[in-house]
Amino acid sequence: MGRTQDHSEPLVRMEAIVKRFGTITALDGVDFEVEYQQVHALLGDNGAGKSTLIKILTGVYPPTEGRIYFEGRHVRFSSPRDARALGIETVYQDLALVDTMSITRNFFLGREIVRRLGPIPWLDMRAMNERTRSALRDIGIEIRAPHEKVGSLSGGERQSIAIGRAVHFGAKLLILDEPTSALSVAETRKVLSYIENAKARGLSVIFITHNVRHVHMVADAYTILRHGRKVGTYYRGELSERDIADLITGERER
Amino acid sequence: MSSEVAVSKTGTRLRSPRHMLADSATLGPFLTLLVLFVLFSLFIPKFLSWRSVSGIVNAATPIGIVTIGVTLLMICGEFDLSVGSLVALGGYVFAMLLLAGAPPALAALLAVALPALFGLLNGLLLVWTGIPSFIVTLGTRSIYRGIVWLFSGGTLIQMLERPAVLALFNGRLDVLNELLPKGANFRTSLIWFLLAVLVFQYLLTRTTFGNHIFAAGGNAQAAAAQGVNVSRVKVISFAFSGALAGLTGILLFSQFRTVRVTTGAGMELSAIAAAVVGGTALNGGVGSIWGALIGVLLISMLRTGVILMDIPFIPADNFEAVVGATIVGAAVLNTWLGQGRAKR
Repeated sequence: MGRTQDHSEPLVRMEAIVKRFGTITALDGVDFEVEYQQVHALLGDNGAGKSTLIKILTGVYPPTEGRIYFEGRHVRFSSPRDARALGIETVYQDLALVDTMSITRNFFLGREIVRRLGPIPWLDMRAMNERTRSALRDIGIEIRAPHEKVGSLSGGERQSIAIGRAVHFGAKLLILDEPTSALSVAETRKVLSYIENAKARGLSVIFITHNVRHVHMVADAYTILRHGRKVGTYYRGELSERDIADLITGERER
Repeated sequence: MSSEVAVSKTGTRLRSPRHMLADSATLGPFLTLLVLFVLFSLFIPKFLSWRSVSGIVNAATPIGIVTIGVTLLMICGEFDLSVGSLVALGGYVFAMLLLAGAPPALAALLAVALPALFGLLNGLLLVWTGIPSFIVTLGTRSIYRGIVWLFSGGTLIQMLERPAVLALFNGRLDVLNELLPKGANFRTSLIWFLLAVLVFQYLLTRTTFGNHIFAAGGNAQAAAAQGVNVSRVKVISFAFSGALAGLTGILLFSQFRTVRVTTGAGMELSAIAAAVVGGTALNGGVGSIWGALIGVLLISMLRTGVILMDIPFIPADNFEAVVGATIVGAAVLNTWLGQGRAKR
């Protein structure tokens, strides 16, 4: 799926981001760029500043200093809703879906299709069921029944539905927070394939993790953070899994 | 997937009975209702009569309307302990306005609107303070009854005349009774109850608002992340709960032509009990209006059954113990089914 925008600017450019919480400096002048149609791994140990950086990008916190550009335009988010309106979607491990509701009702939550019978609004479950099934099929996810409760699905299936939903509703940037950390090997492979499908459809993906092995198969670029500073950004083939692991822990400087 | 699940050729799943029960919050209570009805009919003389059946239904309808509101709130993860007091408020507003010569339509309207406003206040207190609704409404339960006491002066109101409006709200449903064999004695409160069931079943399962109620109670953070205004959903649900309590106050006054400060006391707990017996989860996200209907019928039927059985150690006025056992049993069953849901 081609995009018509001018791609001389990256999709995301964060410049000299500083974030202080009281006397603690969580991020100290971090630059971070994500290209169009790129799977970008954001790596670092606990406390390295990964989630702070992402929370700034998604409008949860304002940065103390620094600027954010999205599609080449300077943006300032005052809430996650602002970021979402521009097409930045975050999929959190456990917070994405309502387990007690069906796949379809989750898929269309907040964007329900409503039909009118005279003056009476009526949820068009049939249309929503059909669209859920076809939208998920489009990115390679087969579901048994759209009316099935999400709580009865496996962790990987749940991730896939959250990803499919973001893709279907026009996300440009998909942020996945530790999407594979609780999954089996087979399920991890599936989730990685959905990420590649999302990329093939023109999206960029930020993949936050501390597990190098998972991301090595799909990442085009890696940015490694340590103690609130950027260690560097590297491209596919530049580093071995071993090199990355050493850079995360700081056993080797580059 | 788990070995219990087979996939048929059409893609629909063949499931174990436990899964079918777990998927539908209402099926279990419905089967229980059916089985108990058959057992009582077989073993209790006089149980299977139009007189006792209409008695069971009549006793279930006022509490049933309160239970609909309470169920709505429990699905979105909240409790309303103030509904009993709002029943009294509705009853007094209706009675005092009628006695003052106000048009019946206006009396009824205000008897629903004022409790709805107090319900709204419950919701706002919850949203503004962040204090759990259990505590907020434990407080307003006493405050609201105090307000009733203040403007009624604590006196009982009894109406001697029988204006037509009372027959409309809770008179004999003769159109139906005349079609049925002798003994049938249904009341118009049944019509109001069924109307409320239909309206709220529609609201809950066929509207965006209902979708958001389930989401708010099932996973408030996930709902908020999808743009659902969870606070708004809860505040509106509280207003509905208050309005339904007010309607119940009207129905009770229309039947007994009496309202006192203690009217409706304890109904909040009976309503939670009926909701739970009807398959509504205590921690939100699961429940149905049909479940509320079944729950109140089940409890009402148990009461009649136990009274007719005339067991020496369970006299009619010790019936609460039977309700208690039913609630614990239903909660255990729901938890077991909930685990079935989670395990798959």
